[in-house]
Amino acid sequence: MTGQRWMDFAGQAIFHTLVAALVIEALIRLWGVRQPEQRTGFRLLALGWPLLVVPALFLAFPVREAESFRDARAIFAGRHWDDLAFLGVGLYGWWIACMGATGLGLFLLDLVPWMRARSAQSPPWIAAAPEARAAEEALARAAAALGMEAPPLAWVASGPPVLFCTGTRQPMVVISRAAVELLDRDELTGALAHELAHLERHDPTLSWALMGARALMCFNPGVQVLVRAIARDAERIADERAGTACRDRLALASGLLKLYRATGGRVAASGTGRRPLTAALAEPIARARDHDIELRCRALLGEPPAPVPLARMRLAAAAAGLGFLLFFVV
Amino acid sequence: MTASIAMGSTVSEGARALWTLALVLGGAAFALVGLDSMPTWLHGQPRGVRRATSVEEVERRLQSRVLLPSYFPDSLRWPPSLVRFTREDGGSVALDFQGKDGAPALLLAQTLAGAAAIPEGIQGRLAVIQRQSAPLGEDAVLARVVAEDGTLWNQLEWTRSDRRFLLRGRGSLEDLIRMARSIHGERR
Repeated sequence: MTGQRWMDFAGQAIFHTLVAALVIEALIRLWGVRQPEQRTGFRLLALGWPLLVVPALFLAFPVREAESFRDARAIFAGRHWDDLAFLGVGLYGWWIACMGATGLGLFLLDLVPWMRARSAQSPPWIAAAPEARAAEEALARAAAALGMEAPPLAWVASGPPVLFCTGTRQPMVVISRAAVELLDRDELTGALAHELAHLERHDPTLSWALMGARALMCFNPGVQVLVRAIARDAERIADERAGTACRDRLALASGLLKLYRATGGRVAASGTGRRPLTAALAEPIARARDHDIELRCRALLGEPPAPVPLARMRLAAAAAGLGFLLFFVV
Repeated sequence: MTASIAMGSTVSEGARALWTLALVLGGAAFALVGLDSMPTWLHGQPRGVRRATSVEEVERRLQSRVLLPSYFPDSLRWPPSLVRFTREDGGSVALDFQGKDGAPALLLAQTLAGAAAIPEGIQGRLAVIQRQSAPLGEDAVLARVVAEDGTLWNQLEWTRSDRRFLLRGRGSLEDLIRMARSIHGERR
């Protein structure tokens, strides 16, 4: 492919994602889609657009790249903005460059801390420990509530409260002594049920797939934002599953809040405020995390959201409508 | 009875959902069309009229040769200061030339396929104060028009080789006719 074609591909991938995401978010709100599973379905449609549909359109319909199509048939052609130039470069080129930089920034914002955390010295995990008895019992209770086999438990004897699931082929739950000491019996069962719900849905594998999608579309800010929204939905799905299975949504909300206060949010963000850019970014990120936890707790305090009827029909209609609309956007 | 009520409710729910979808997609399409027409609007051009950087670019985009005069008076600057085109009715091109003093001096417009009138979007709409036939063919028209700055310009319009041509200039009429003839390879 020539440089111009790559630029057209990048421009369309970014623009199609933005339009698809905006349309999908508008539909989610107007149709009142509240169930996290259904929201994820709609958002995956927007996420799949730049990954599958845009390349398919490029391969199957080369006529869309013709200048006659752009000038006479398209309802929007990004290259028309190249009629306006700044410093000798068309505005469409500037727009792609700015969007690409934003997308890369959003990608690195998550990638760099993740890589730092992986390379940092973490306390060793112990496969079995006598003092992990309470955690093992809670894990067994949570697994029974979810109707699944309990995965192996990895014990962290020192350090801050830690509770997460990991592993794609050999899934396990990692928990620290501090987490067990922090949470009461019901909160611990609820929190472990939440992690088991992630394993039940193969979320660790899904998170790798989403990270791959983000890396592939690192220039696309829409993809970066959509993946974050899907990750939040995954947390909500695990909350709902755990809350329903354990029949104690309040305990799960309480455990969630305790763990958040003890590990993340503003405390962690304020520690990174030495460099100007990091400090400027830390506050809004911390606020967004606070808001996210607040929403999750609020959702757990209420009744489980009812599914919207005719969800598949709506999804298919939205996909068909978007396909028709975006065919004429080049 | 209960089943038919449930069915009716499902149908009305589906219809409402599709109506909402149509509204959202319609709104998106409307916004996209508006966004697409903004560059031409910012340039002060009507919708459908596009700019190009050169005659070669227009020829490439419209896949057709633009016929140019072989006679070009010294009082004009080459290349054209503005190249505009439209795909309307098979495509039309307008080339604006400046005089040596930098002021607008000449417009050459032509259709690329067919002898239909040159769209107003690219030739502009000027007041005609005098019309007469011109020595360029049966349907050739020579007119005096009032330019945007209030000055009087000569305007030649004719059809040849299944194309409609328009030459409008503030220079001498003799130069204009000579340029028109030279487009078709005629010396005088």
